[in-house]
Amino acid sequence: MTFAERMVHIDRRIIFLVIGLCTLLPLLHPVGLAINVSPEVRAVHDYIESLPPGSAFLLSMDFDPASKPELYPQAVALLRHAFKRNLRVIGMTLWVSGTGMADQVISQVAREMGKTNGVDYVFLGWSPGVGSLIITMGQDLYKAFPSDYYNQPTSSLPVLRDIRTLRDVNYVVSLAAGTAGIETWYVFGKDKYQFELGGGCTGVIAPGLYPLLRSKQINGLIGGLRGAAEYEVLIDQRGLAVAGMDAQSVTHFAIIALVILCNAFYAVIRTHARRSGQERVGRVAEE
Amino acid sequence: MPFDMLLGAWVATGLTLFIFTFLYEDNPLFKVAEHLYVGVSVGYTIVKAYDTVVVRLIYEPMVKQGDWWLLIPLFIGGLMLTRYVPKITWMSRLAFAFIVGVGSGLAIPRVVSSYILKQVEDTFRPLLVLGETGGVTFNFNLADPTSNVNTIVLLVGVVSVLFYFFFSIEHSGPVRHAARTGILFLMIAFGAAFGYTVMARMSLLIGRLSDLIQFAAPGYGRASIWLLLLTVGLLIAWAFRSPERPTS
Repeated sequence: MTFAERMVHIDRRIIFLVIGLCTLLPLLHPVGLAINVSPEVRAVHDYIESLPPGSAFLLSMDFDPASKPELYPQAVALLRHAFKRNLRVIGMTLWVSGTGMADQVISQVAREMGKTNGVDYVFLGWSPGVGSLIITMGQDLYKAFPSDYYNQPTSSLPVLRDIRTLRDVNYVVSLAAGTAGIETWYVFGKDKYQFELGGGCTGVIAPGLYPLLRSKQINGLIGGLRGAAEYEVLIDQRGLAVAGMDAQSVTHFAIIALVILCNAFYAVIRTHARRSGQERVGRVAEE
Repeated sequence: MPFDMLLGAWVATGLTLFIFTFLYEDNPLFKVAEHLYVGVSVGYTIVKAYDTVVVRLIYEPMVKQGDWWLLIPLFIGGLMLTRYVPKITWMSRLAFAFIVGVGSGLAIPRVVSSYILKQVEDTFRPLLVLGETGGVTFNFNLADPTSNVNTIVLLVGVVSVLFYFFFSIEHSGPVRHAARTGILFLMIAFGAAFGYTVMARMSLLIGRLSDLIQFAAPGYGRASIWLLLLTVGLLIAWAFRSPERPTS
């Protein structure tokens, strides 16, 4: 077996080890690579910046713990920004399995920013229906959520004063790991009730959402851990996402190097096989 | 450190390391973590759904507020369960018909408007822009998604990909060239999607390793280090397990 063949058939556990080390070492010893902010992330940030204090901001955390590494930092950054701007924050989720985690993130950030439940923010929790839930919220928010996650009647909460329907909400951001998510909010929400909609998503579904961004169906998009890092840079509060960017860059370099090497070895194997084939044909012809 | 946080850290670390053992070989530790994950997520979903739907949205409004009309949708939903009784399975079709009918009625017009009409509208943008002085301008900036050159690229891409997926005529001659152009656009799109997927998977790994690093701190009782040693020890013991006796 030639060197190239041995390399192409290398034990995959060695590659796992290489990727693991490329991820672990930058986390232990960060380098501090520069992070450039993309226009789609800046669009979400700038829209929140433009909202006057007291505006209603609805954050729908449509993800479960499986997508926590990518979307939890986005939620933390957005909530910090919204609380810093003194917006009235309405939290909710369309994913039943993410309810506990969504409550945890909003309570934690609110505590950190000195905000009071019921006065500065409310967590509505989860309710069944997805599309029909959004439609019901668009017609009567209190019918969709008669009580919040802690069983307080929503109609008596100061934070929901003057908010009857989704039309009264100034900005909705959906942090989505799949369906139900940003597309659901657009199809059943914005298209009908005409509120401004932004999105945050995992890297897996981000490519499918760029058509919505281009057509201005959503005004901005925060994609994956990278998007969360860009948002943390914008609000000048570097956290988990920025800490992971060095590891992400090093891992990507490693993967690119492995892909190039593998293609080079494959090209060598093919050339060798072609030459061996030609030599064999030549010998047979002589015989 | 509160006990529940400490316990949570140790459990999370242990299960994360058990899942990672699959990278070496399938083993009982991985199976334990995998089954726990499935069981806990299903159990959590059932409990939350029961508390939110049955207790808060059905029982409390009916009994405490007198909304007895909720018995009608409750009955329709209950008809679904007749699936499990062979003699009255036909009754579940009434519930399915209601759900499919309402769902389609709500979804189809909205989806057609949002996904099809809006996207078609955005695909056909002006190729030339009239300037203030009456002349026409053409933006060559490829980095700007709204530039005129990108509008042409998008239009060519959409039309050529549609040609590729149109199998009612043979792909020969000009149709073949259009279809092969569509293939190029599809390859670029899938490549971008794959790249984003790789980035997402790496982000998940970064998230787990960040937690493992955090839980290696003395405040968490160095959970990551002790559990790593335990996991490696168990893995070695399992790898050197005595071979099973062959049955005669």
